[in-house]
Amino acid sequence: MERLPIDVADALARVGDDRDFLKELMDIYTADLATRIAGLREALARGDLKAVEQLGHAIKGSSANLSLPLLRDRASAIEIAGKNGSAPKAQANLQGLEKEFQRLREHLRENPL
Amino acid sequence: MKILIAEDDPVSRRLLEKNISEWGYDGAVAGNGDEALATLRGGDIRLAILDWMMPGINGIEICRFVRQDGGPKYVYIIMLTSRDRRQDIVEGLEAGADDYMAKPVNLLELRARIQTGRRVVELEDKLLESNRKLKDLASRDNLTSLWNRANAFLFLEEDLARGRRESHPVSAIMIDIDNFKRINDAYGHLAGDVALIEIAKRLERGVRPYDKVGRYGGDEMLIVLPGCGLEDAAAIGERLRKSISRTKVRTPAGDVEVTVTLGCSSSELAPDATAETLVQASDAALYKGKSLGRNRVVAGA
Repeated sequence: MERLPIDVADALARVGDDRDFLKELMDIYTADLATRIAGLREALARGDLKAVEQLGHAIKGSSANLSLPLLRDRASAIEIAGKNGSAPKAQANLQGLEKEFQRLREHLRENPL
Repeated sequence: MKILIAEDDPVSRRLLEKNISEWGYDGAVAGNGDEALATLRGGDIRLAILDWMMPGINGIEICRFVRQDGGPKYVYIIMLTSRDRRQDIVEGLEAGADDYMAKPVNLLELRARIQTGRRVVELEDKLLESNRKLKDLASRDNLTSLWNRANAFLFLEEDLARGRRESHPVSAIMIDIDNFKRINDAYGHLAGDVALIEIAKRLERGVRPYDKVGRYGGDEMLIVLPGCGLEDAAAIGERLRKSISRTKVRTPAGDVEVTVTLGCSSSELAPDATAETLVQASDAALYKGKSLGRNRVVAGA
């Protein structure tokens, strides 16, 4: 069975079962992630793997906060690739991250919080 | 208690902000290190939750700055770190953090740690408050609650130094109760004390908020008047004299008529004046007033 992009029960537990607040956080998250993805693209284009590592780290943290395991794993892979100086791996995982982000948005459209 | 949340991730920041406000604290947020430091230097933050890794100045550096600044009140610092390596924890604590937590933050644990921080901050406040009270107690005269002699003299020195820097005169008035011994003899020492307390009150009511009234000796009082020339000092002295002679002092032994003699001097006419020379000049004016028949103001040099 395919893993869901968000573990809603877990996310709700983190915010004291406040569904409206979870929605608010999710809006903050998606806006922030769009900015960070653009930042990752730019960092890769100029070969700044230190910035790639930091952005990956930041996305990992906020994804974990909202119980988004697939995005968290991708972000973690980007962080590691940045740390190891591997631009191709970072690039590949960035594409994976964008795909997961797309899946999350589709999932939330079909299954609103 | 006001708590600063310095965290660059907007999701974590909002999550912490909301919880902290639900726990009854006043929350302030910063999205990067520079904002955080500016807010901390702004004053009223008592507890700071600092993310280790932030754009701009990082959490550790903020810690060092805050401890170096050493502001008027202690700020309790909790560092958030996703790195739990032992050397990072040591570095954080050495930089001046009081506590640290690994990310992702467990909110129940954070709440408990904030309570610990609050206890420390409140203890610190109590200590400062009792220090302040003790210091105040040691600077005041027991009977009249006026400044004691040492402090009145110190204020005169400080105001003279400031007056020289800012080019304004400082005046001193020495006040002595007329025939105080006779009041004590006729009405008893208790009535004498009551008269002293009442006169101290009238003097304090009669001066400007930034003037200082001290008990200089048994029935002698010294008033320091910054930004005041000799003529103004004499006018204030005359007002004070009237406020005392106009109404009898009510004591358990009956209503007592009390008058005072006042000697004024000012640095206006003596630019090299020191606290000693001003006190001496006021004293000389005071004794001239006594010899002229008391219950009067004499302006000296």
